[in-house]
Amino acid sequence: MRFDSRIAYMSIAAVAVCVPAHALVYMSVEQAQQLMFPGQSLAALSLRLSADQIAAVEKDAGVKVYPGGLRAWKADQGYFFVDAVIGKHDLITYAVALDADGKVRQVEILEYREAYGGEVRNSHWRAQFTGRHHGDPVRIGKDIQNISGATLSCEHVTEGIRRLLAIYAVAIANA
Amino acid sequence: MLSPLPTPEPHTVRRARPLLGTLVEIAVSDDRHSQEKLHAAVSDAFAEVERVHRLMSFHEATSDLSLVNRHALSRPVRVHADTYKVFEMALNFSWLTQGAFDPTVAAPILESSGYLPSCRTQCDPGADWRDIELLGDTCIRYRRAVRADLGGIAKGFAVDLAVCALAARDIEDVLVNAGGDLRVAGPRSHGVRLRHPVEPLEKAYFLEIKGRALATSAPYFSRRKDASNREMSALVDPVNRMPELDVGSVTVLASDCASADALTKAVLFASREVAERSLAVCGAEACVIK
Repeated sequence: MRFDSRIAYMSIAAVAVCVPAHALVYMSVEQAQQLMFPGQSLAALSLRLSADQIAAVEKDAGVKVYPGGLRAWKADQGYFFVDAVIGKHDLITYAVALDADGKVRQVEILEYREAYGGEVRNSHWRAQFTGRHHGDPVRIGKDIQNISGATLSCEHVTEGIRRLLAIYAVAIANA
Repeated sequence: MLSPLPTPEPHTVRRARPLLGTLVEIAVSDDRHSQEKLHAAVSDAFAEVERVHRLMSFHEATSDLSLVNRHALSRPVRVHADTYKVFEMALNFSWLTQGAFDPTVAAPILESSGYLPSCRTQCDPGADWRDIELLGDTCIRYRRAVRADLGGIAKGFAVDLAVCALAARDIEDVLVNAGGDLRVAGPRSHGVRLRHPVEPLEKAYFLEIKGRALATSAPYFSRRKDASNREMSALVDPVNRMPELDVGSVTVLASDCASADALTKAVLFASREVAERSLAVCGAEACVIK
């Protein structure tokens, strides 16, 4: 019996093609600063946490603090941060704008990069991504970079923001 | 050596924010509008997604959904019109798919396996979507102790709201992707990579869509072991109420993303006949990769 089916079945072997890992640069640090604090001048802050401060942040946020991970700027009205978090399969850098009272005003993802297997735990591989814009950013709109079939978790970004707010409270607001 | 920054192409904006438990990406392109105007439109569209996030989060104690789950057994709870609309859509899909899509099945099982925060009151094991009563005037009441989780439809709904917000601002080329629930609008076709069910990071299947929405359900990435070392997945079969593991991935193409999102459950869990009919009613198609 034949009927008009709306469901197509495909086997993995027939459809799969090898793909490069997904990597996307949404915006640069400078672009994020302009978007979040248009027309304002930003001054870099040096964040050197003492052992006591690190302990306080870790207790407050329930997440580990890695030295040197977070970069901070003071804007005319608020603060601007750039941080990177490592997930199970990916590395995400993101920017956060706080208003003058330390409340989150905006979060934007700067870069998203996916890794094969254990690559994400490899410090070499991470080094090409964190801090500066090394690597091979994919040109926006030029490649197929829309993905379905994976609910990418933003758990680590949420944790990172919690840590960032604790650092703000300990090292900036109460400094 | 520093590689070049992303050259911002004129008249194109692509941004992402952590929302709805995933990364939500919005990309727009329109030669008639300035970069500033496109950024403003994208910010407006994100505001829509953020509203859905606030109203329908299962995790946030102050969301509409949490209020309903806490109080609707004892009294009618008035919710935001959008929350009510998503409940309405959810129950319509439950009816259409004969319970294959059921917003009440996931919470009790996922709580016990650590996917969702647990709640003090016990769910009634015999209760299901039919115990959610929509009273009109945006009020909701539960007949029996159920706990709704709108995760299987709210993301798609949020994508639809964002697309509509961009359309209202006369943006020609639009893509909104909430962790794989995505919709495109405009004259251009967009390539989409469907993850390989077994090796999601290495292999994929490509397809192109134009002016449509697409959603995929698959257990990879969310698989984990529970306390007694049974393998768990974030998908739950409404009939035997056990986590679904024996599938590759199901992708549904529909005209709106909320429907595509909900219909993946029809293909996964309904009988072939019910699944075919549900897809036909919505003018949708499915692609199953095993």
